[in-house]
Amino acid sequence: MNDQAPSRLWVMRLAFSFLVLTILFLHLLPLQTATGGLIWPDFVLCFAMAWSVRRPEYVPAVLLAVVFLLSDLLLQRPPGLWALLALIACEKVKSQSRGLRDATLVAEMVSVAMWIIGVSIAYRVILAIFVVDGTPIGPAAIQILVTVMAYPLVVAASHGLFGVRKAAPNELGSKGVRS
Amino acid sequence: MDYAGPLRRLTLAVLALVLLGTFLLWRIDSPRVERFRAQVTDQIVPNLDWAMAPITGTINLVRDFQSYRRIAEQNTELRRELRQMQAWKEAALQLEQENARLLDLNNVRLDPRLTYITGVVLADSGSPFRQSVLLNVGARDGIVEGWATMDGIGVVGRISGVAQNTARVIMVTDASSRIPAVIQPSGQRAIVAGDNSAAPPIDFLENPDLVRPGDRVVTSGDGGVFPAGLLLGQVAADPGGRLRVRLAADYERLEFLRVLRHYGTEPVSDAGGVLGTDPTPQLTQDTTPELTEVTE
Repeated sequence: MNDQAPSRLWVMRLAFSFLVLTILFLHLLPLQTATGGLIWPDFVLCFAMAWSVRRPEYVPAVLLAVVFLLSDLLLQRPPGLWALLALIACEKVKSQSRGLRDATLVAEMVSVAMWIIGVSIAYRVILAIFVVDGTPIGPAAIQILVTVMAYPLVVAASHGLFGVRKAAPNELGSKGVRS
Repeated sequence: MDYAGPLRRLTLAVLALVLLGTFLLWRIDSPRVERFRAQVTDQIVPNLDWAMAPITGTINLVRDFQSYRRIAEQNTELRRELRQMQAWKEAALQLEQENARLLDLNNVRLDPRLTYITGVVLADSGSPFRQSVLLNVGARDGIVEGWATMDGIGVVGRISGVAQNTARVIMVTDASSRIPAVIQPSGQRAIVAGDNSAAPPIDFLENPDLVRPGDRVVTSGDGGVFPAGLLLGQVAADPGGRLRVRLAADYERLEFLRVLRHYGTEPVSDAGGVLGTDPTPQLTQDTTPELTEVTE
């Protein structure tokens, strides 16, 4: 099937990289120079999770690590920590993806939301342990909430725009084995 | 395919170690990693400028369109303000002449090295929790860490992170910003500590009773990082009674920023040679032989 051709695999990996670069680009536009701007969801994490659930082979761990580290560097976060936690969350979701493939969107959302919340709390705790000035708790909580709420939209966008769908149970994986 | 599982786990472990190592390295040796961050930003953001400029322009145009609708009432408002301003301008001109005369009488020499470089804002921090902007001037233009930036009226922030072509400005409103200030006319010293709000609070104020809302807040130059006497804003009291600074710079639309060249104020280290009985050590270039003679 054409859908599983190696070229398709690399095109989708490239598409994911461009997607993340676009998100970072939109974040960096100098439109919000005053304080008190809108708090946007963490779209990079959302897309990474959504694609990890659907097509783990499109988002290999190396690509995820590079992308997360780049967004840490560009968005003025402590470099490495959020990338590490997000990578762990995505890899855990990947290992559950066989189970999540048959689950409904609600069940998938609950599972992903648990990971997002868990990782965000761990991030704050580790920053506190290392005595790094973290973000104030109110806006950070709002960001977690909007990230969880944005997840279905991200799933819809992945499905509609990029054709990232869950593999059917009888579909062969990219390497010729059942994924 | 037997090795796929272990290989994947090994890759993951290596990646996790690298990321954790990056974070620990940042925690231990922050300046080095921040320099690396500045270089990465320097490689990426200026290359995106061709795309950023039109999009930013278009969005600002749409925003402006909303204010165009109120153009008639704005016009009358502006005319009224202009009349007031003309009165002020007259007063300012007179004061300027008087000031120049007085400076001339006193033979005052203003610091001639306080010149500036103007940079264009390339990007913002990209996060609602960090208040910083990226300028298109960097080490190439002689920018040095710690220099003050202004928008023409008030202080905007401090240079923190210089790469070859770009420099980051941490704004006064950022939670990590602390700026020593003096409140005029009472002369009280304080610290303006950013807290991610539009009006940063005033900390370490010795006697709050002497400070009234409306007083001017200027930089004090303490610590030697900032030049003294730059306007920060006006004192305002929030509903909780806490004193804050209403900043003079217009943060809503930062496009151009001035980076003030400042080479630090030279410290006066020798203790009052004029008062000494013997002026000869002051005149000789090398004082060590004199000292040995004294000890002998």
